[in-house]
Amino acid sequence: MRTPIRIAGVVIGAGALTAFGVAPANAATPAPAGVSVLHAVPDTPVDVWVDGERTLDDFQPGDLAGPLALPAGTYSVAITAADATDDSDPVIGPVDVPVEGDRSYTIAAHLNEGGEPTATVFANDTSAAPAGQGRLTVRHTAAAPAVDVLAGGDAVIEGLENPDEQVLELPAGTISAAVAAAGSTDPLIGPADVQVAEGVNTIVYAWGSADDDDLELAVQTITGLGGNPNGINSGTAGLAAEGGSPVGLIGVGALAVLVAGGAALVVARRARA
Amino acid sequence: MAVAALTGCAPVAAAPVTPAATPSSTTSATAAARGEDIPVAAATLAPPEEPVPPVRVQVAGRDVDVTVVPVGVDRRGAMVLPEDPSVAGWYRWSSDADAARGTTVLAAHVDSLRWGLGPFVRIRDLPDDAEIVVTADDGARRTYRVDSTERFRKAALPDRVFDRTGAHRLVLVTCGGTFDPATRTYSDNVVVTARPAGGSG
Repeated sequence: MRTPIRIAGVVIGAGALTAFGVAPANAATPAPAGVSVLHAVPDTPVDVWVDGERTLDDFQPGDLAGPLALPAGTYSVAITAADATDDSDPVIGPVDVPVEGDRSYTIAAHLNEGGEPTATVFANDTSAAPAGQGRLTVRHTAAAPAVDVLAGGDAVIEGLENPDEQVLELPAGTISAAVAAAGSTDPLIGPADVQVAEGVNTIVYAWGSADDDDLELAVQTITGLGGNPNGINSGTAGLAAEGGSPVGLIGVGALAVLVAGGAALVVARRARA
Repeated sequence: MAVAALTGCAPVAAAPVTPAATPSSTTSATAAARGEDIPVAAATLAPPEEPVPPVRVQVAGRDVDVTVVPVGVDRRGAMVLPEDPSVAGWYRWSSDADAARGTTVLAAHVDSLRWGLGPFVRIRDLPDDAEIVVTADDGARRTYRVDSTERFRKAALPDRVFDRTGAHRLVLVTCGGTFDPATRTYSDNVVVTARPAGGSG
């Protein structure tokens, strides 16, 4: 599920199937989801309400909250001004957020391409990364047209639009990354060194507003996703075979004969030259 | 691509990386409902934690005293080992020499056509409680005691060898079993697991 679920503007009544915090905790209950919230609307502290309860108070732009362990279900999320006394006059939402157990989500409050506040629920990829690699997820949550992501000057992601994402798996290391208008190499953000750590999903959000010249990067990391090597080949000669492997020793002997023979040929050729 | 260089047994240059931690999400919905704090932080990239690489491993009484270098994986996803069997590789994404959790994985070739038998041939029959000392890059020495010596078919090497969670332990790996001269590979991995012997030695 690498496509974000667009929930902005979708209002389906109260809708909460699971009351906040009262899910039964028996063995048959699936693992809860991990839900984080990113505030990527410039300049505006907010409160975040879940099923009518104030869950994040005076939440600042550029901050990331969570992860909050939520039992599977559908939650009603509303975002209000920071001085609101209830969620009856939301700036964003209320939106219904369906959550599956044992998954990782980030709810991003951000601007749409036109600069209006909105919210997008992203499902985070928490599958194991190949051994020695890290995952880089790039999400466009800024009031800006489509962008390219440049790594070392080359476009590695092209034409990414608000509120889409793209996921890359890369050898662990540090890349010099920049965000440019699609088709351009002139950076709107960066270049900045981004560490792609082994076994970590590094999620980078481009946020802010191009018109206001305040585009920024926000970063979220999900660790513990390292894959294991698929084997250890720790011997090549057959000198230490257990339980008897005379064939191996014969093989080594034959190779020695071949090497000696080759050396003799080289000597013979040099002698003729 | 740079990874193309990581073939065969070539050792890999050291580079600091962040050891992966376990996912943490302990806040519960009920906790939130009770008004307990939900962690909030600026969404900025934290500076990476530098691991402390092991640089030397010794096995008392077995004439095993080898240099350790950091290694990664090759293009096929296998752990890279130093070509010289008298040098061990530390899987750089396993736990480091200073770890409190997970396994620190050190492996070396048991032999090579060029160098002959390596010192790790002598870890294949270590008695329980045999002493192993690992020296870290910062000079710290840590003593371990052998818990078990196991043999696995190479294709069935259990994931727990690379476990990054649970109580800290040291794992030494080399080859054993029968040898197939056609593929120049052994049938088995020998896995020695050791526990910390109560602090630095």
